[in-house]
Amino acid sequence: MTDRSPDLPDGNRPLTRRGFLTRAGTAGAVAAGTALAPARVAFGAQADAGTLVVVFLRGGMDGLSVVVPADDPHLAAARPRIAVPGGALLPLDRGFGLHPALGPLHDLWGHGRFTAVPAVSMPDISRSHFQAQDCLERGGASTGAAEGWLDRVLDSTSPGSAFRALTVGTTVSRALAGDQGALALRSVDAFTVHAGDGMQARTTRALTTLYSGIDHPLEATVRATMDGLRTATLVSALDAEPAAGYPEADLGAQLAEVARLVKLDVGLQVACIDVGGWDMHTNLGTVDGGSMTSALTTLGAALGAFADDLGDRLDDVTVVAVTEFGRRVEQNANAGTDHGHGATVLLVGGGLVGGTVHGAWHGLAPDQLDHGDVPGWNDYRDVLGEVVSTRLGVGADALRTVFPGHRVQPLGIMR
Amino acid sequence: MTDEDAGVDTRDRARWPRRAVLAGLAGAGLTATAGVADRIAPPGASPPERDLADVRRTAERPADAAGFASRDESYARSAGPIERASAVRRPAPAPAPAPRPGPEFPTAADAAAATEVSVATILDPADPVVHLLRRTTFGPTPELVAMVHAVGIDAWLESQLAPDTIPDPEADAIWAAFPLASADPPTIRASVERARWDAMNDHSTATMARQVWSNRQLFEVMVDFWANHLNVPTPGPGGWDVGPGYQNDVIRRHALGTFSDMLVDAVRHPALLRYLTAAQSTKESVNENLGRELLELHTVGVASGYTEDDVRNSAYILTGRTVLGRDAGDDESTFRYDPDKHWVGPVTVLDFHHDNPTAEGGLEVGDAYLRHLAVHPATAQTVARKLAVRFVSDVPPPELVDRLAQAYLDNGSAVVPVLTTLFHSAEFWAAVGQKTRRPLENVAASARVLGVAPVDDARRSAIALANAAGRAGHRPLAWRAPNGYPDVHAAWRSAGGVVETWNTHRMLVGDWKDGLTRPDPAELPAGRPASTVGDYVEGLCHRLCFQAFRADHRDALVAFLGGDPAAPLSPSLDDRAAVAAIAVVLDSPYFALR
Repeated sequence: MTDRSPDLPDGNRPLTRRGFLTRAGTAGAVAAGTALAPARVAFGAQADAGTLVVVFLRGGMDGLSVVVPADDPHLAAARPRIAVPGGALLPLDRGFGLHPALGPLHDLWGHGRFTAVPAVSMPDISRSHFQAQDCLERGGASTGAAEGWLDRVLDSTSPGSAFRALTVGTTVSRALAGDQGALALRSVDAFTVHAGDGMQARTTRALTTLYSGIDHPLEATVRATMDGLRTATLVSALDAEPAAGYPEADLGAQLAEVARLVKLDVGLQVACIDVGGWDMHTNLGTVDGGSMTSALTTLGAALGAFADDLGDRLDDVTVVAVTEFGRRVEQNANAGTDHGHGATVLLVGGGLVGGTVHGAWHGLAPDQLDHGDVPGWNDYRDVLGEVVSTRLGVGADALRTVFPGHRVQPLGIMR
Repeated sequence: MTDEDAGVDTRDRARWPRRAVLAGLAGAGLTATAGVADRIAPPGASPPERDLADVRRTAERPADAAGFASRDESYARSAGPIERASAVRRPAPAPAPAPRPGPEFPTAADAAAATEVSVATILDPADPVVHLLRRTTFGPTPELVAMVHAVGIDAWLESQLAPDTIPDPEADAIWAAFPLASADPPTIRASVERARWDAMNDHSTATMARQVWSNRQLFEVMVDFWANHLNVPTPGPGGWDVGPGYQNDVIRRHALGTFSDMLVDAVRHPALLRYLTAAQSTKESVNENLGRELLELHTVGVASGYTEDDVRNSAYILTGRTVLGRDAGDDESTFRYDPDKHWVGPVTVLDFHHDNPTAEGGLEVGDAYLRHLAVHPATAQTVARKLAVRFVSDVPPPELVDRLAQAYLDNGSAVVPVLTTLFHSAEFWAAVGQKTRRPLENVAASARVLGVAPVDDARRSAIALANAAGRAGHRPLAWRAPNGYPDVHAAWRSAGGVVETWNTHRMLVGDWKDGLTRPDPAELPAGRPASTVGDYVEGLCHRLCFQAFRADHRDALVAFLGGDPAAPLSPSLDDRAAVAAIAVVLDSPYFALR
């Protein structure tokens, strides 16, 4: 255990998950939480396990508007109305510039805590939103693997705590679908049963029995829910510090929730967040306004606030922002773009090899393109595989299960 | 697992001739991919051929990229093998339902009587009427169960399939509390500030009220089904003035009509044209949004094997469909066909071909295209499978899907014959307990079975219910993406959703100032009035879940009330534990399953 190990009231450490739950159960969850505040509580976390946050930008983010190949003459020719002008870009390297709405990420770039990979895809990814999302979230479409790729990642990591895997939302991220007991909820504070005074314990007992032996997946869902409720009670009792600096959007609240769980060491290994609104067929806009600038402003502000909120703890966290595909190089007649292929992945957090844009890039000359689109010069499985192997300690054998039929070849993104 | 189960790479089949593939689609489920390798693209429809030998090219057909046929199938498979509801032990009916193979019966009542439920479930399969009502309504009530027993399954279904014949005064009265729910665009534009969601919120909330209080339950189930199939989020961005009209004039109008008519009206409606940005698509450069989703989500599906060329052609065909005043930016709520924006020239999408020779004729070409797609065998599979997922199980038996698809094709995409085939099937009646209530369905079923009603303010009551569903992520009609809310349990395995639903049960039984009447524990239990803890528990289980609970589960409820089943109990609104016990019964898996 490191210096982030939990401080327990009796000084016994480390405490196993089972031991902790026994303790919480005997002392009464609320009482235990109160007694422990404001010290950190053992939630069964492995202290050396960091947190991976996967932000799925639904709809197909136009990477060419985000990490812009500013020096490429083909870009301006293909996008007379929507190309981000070179003079407005925030400088990166390798001829790329960052959309000016992502100023907070550019600050992190300077500290080696933000980087990006362009032209990322998988052979199985098509130009259909839902086929492409499904493929990406399952780690391949043609492999026959039915669980989400992150469910398979969790299968290879330590069992951990009730809050080991979380979708911050109301439906389960497809990437976490499977049997690893991932939670999905919007707010830890709202995650409590209003059983009424004096009826909490007997309600919990009744529901636990009612969902035993029912021969249905609901049984596992409710078991995970009950475990999660115990932890949530402790978390809610501990944390009084309001999140500050996040934008009003859902993404701000979702990332604040993740940051809070990271700081409290609840053992969060994987968190998934969805952000919709990237399917910009029309009126993508300019740097002065429009859909893209608006969406990126929120994204940058939320990730920047997340980094500020975590402070040094950002070293233990990697955020990967993915999207199902990039957009066509050529603008359409509605000053937007249609579905393309190679996507741009954004990474924020600790452990990155900073100061450079990663991955293969061969420019936008027409003879380089795939049906008029940025090709998948870099494979999603190499990007994600490298991140989980470094961040979550997923070994080489396990990676072959996470991405069946693919041998992960790291791009050198992670230290 | 078979190859089909695993969603394996279908590239081996890519060279199949089209005819064989269509036969495969109809006969063997959803995994086949169509293939016409040598397609002649219309001029300018695709980028010029280049030597791309040094670039890894992507699949020209989404189907070649492999995977599951739909999001819901994908989610359902993530939960591992799921028992299929196809178990039938009793002998086949006589006479055999020739010429179609499979367990179809002359009537729904016959199918119910002849089908033995052998799937593992905690739900009691003894009364098929309860199963029928769990699937065809937003939740059984004691009155409804009694009524179906009285009139018979067939007569009840017949009346439900003719909803105009069913008086609905209570729901009509609550609907009337939401005047904008059925307002036309001019009315909304005159009374709502531009881009505000008041009218869409009214429509969504009034829809929830109908789901809870309407007598036309199967109609409301089908409205929800089609609204999600041709999803235009209401409320959602962009539909502020046209969302209610879309739901009323397209979805509700055709919910028990034909899909062909519904599709044609949908793709002439400003709400869908704006939502999927087709209203801005022109011949100079199409935007593919609607052209693609029309193929992928609304009709033939990825597995049909359409190509990227097909997507472009689909979008070409729809050019010119726009809204009045689009250029001026004022009134965008009236459909207009603008020939000047229509792409002219030969178009080919799968097996649809048209010379599309004139700008003026483009609207008719589009309607012909939509009607072609609506009765395409691959569309029949899409709709049939979705209906089977809705009514039977998360992984429905392919044999049933095939029979539903055949009924769909035999009847020109008419909905009622497909539902009739469904209710006459053994698979439907065998599938007890194989579906889970989504949050909205759980909230609605709770309100229905408790018999709560507005005290005085119908708006406030309906809003409380819609908000309860919304907190669990399932506000009526509000899914933002074009694919509609998921309809399988694996997508809804949400701890937060479970807890929100449990809290809604407490809202409904408690004194939460939500404007709804409260159920009285003294009057609630089925059978004789409860005088002991044991009586009360037994009475609640039968009253709310229409069955006895397993002994250990019943004992858990007795323990909740002190542990002694013989202890005297006179439940009342002042008895907090007795009130809370109602919520716990609704929390139970006997209520969570449907």
